[in-house]
Amino acid sequence: MIVCVAVVGQQNNPLYLQSFTEAGDELKLHHIVHCSLDVIDERVNNPKKSWPTLNETFLGLLYPSENYKVYGYLTNTKVKFILVTIDMEVKDADMRNFFRRFHAAFVDAVSNPFHVPGKKITSRSFASRVSAIVKSFGSGTTA
Amino acid sequence: MGREVAESCLDGVMIEMVSAYCTRFYATKPELAARRIEAIGYQVGHQLSERYTMERPRFTDHLEAIKFICKDFWSELFKKQIDNLKTNHRGTFVLQDNHFRWLTRISIDPTPESTEASSNDPSVTAENKASQTTNMHLCFPCGIIRGALSNLGIPCAVTADISNLPACSFVVRIKA
Repeated sequence: MIVCVAVVGQQNNPLYLQSFTEAGDELKLHHIVHCSLDVIDERVNNPKKSWPTLNETFLGLLYPSENYKVYGYLTNTKVKFILVTIDMEVKDADMRNFFRRFHAAFVDAVSNPFHVPGKKITSRSFASRVSAIVKSFGSGTTA
Repeated sequence: MGREVAESCLDGVMIEMVSAYCTRFYATKPELAARRIEAIGYQVGHQLSERYTMERPRFTDHLEAIKFICKDFWSELFKKQIDNLKTNHRGTFVLQDNHFRWLTRISIDPTPESTEASSNDPSVTAENKASQTTNMHLCFPCGIIRGALSNLGIPCAVTADISNLPACSFVVRIKA
């Protein structure tokens, strides 16, 4: 189950942050998201030669903690997508598929002529599309 | 999947946009009109670059990003690639398009209105006016290129030159 998704802009400015838990631990999740930005920076600026996926948008598992796993995705335009999940068994393919659909939703949201680049995404249709993608995650749908 | 629009409609919108900004909104201030049109292009390029770079690995250097603009980006916009790319390897790139789609509908009036009462050499002014009008049509694509590159993390300045209609070249200067 995905507990939190976030979109962070070029200057590490938050564009969208949504948690999907009832338990009121949003603050903790936000903290995790912001911590993972450092991990992304580190990965991108000091790429290890051993990684075959050198300039791929999907960054994979950023760091596992006791309860959460954090995944990252960096677009060509230096926008970061961060996902926090409590599932301990996640298939890589599922994750890639999730980010692909999430990226498509994001592109549609920023292509709105009324969206100001660099500002938070307030579109309700984006929010509902994101929650639909999050709900369908892991249920085997590839649509 | 995507919705389509007739090319003639798009041509019409482009020409009307330029004419509206030049002759109605900012008729007295052509400089301002050019900046406004360029700004519209910037936003369009900004958004298109986000869409067209989906599903491709990140660019490692400037040349790769410029190549993307020349090949894939141009193909998406104009169904053809940039014909010639030159660079001095120090941040200046010249993108030449020998048949730029948005200039194909423009014709220069071959008979300048010499009958009009003007004290100066009429042919010179007519030529100036013609080149000024065509340059206005290139503000929008300049803005598109600048918007796309800025979104890819490359701040730059883009200018356009018309050599021989409908050929034109865009000069990209990357800010260090």
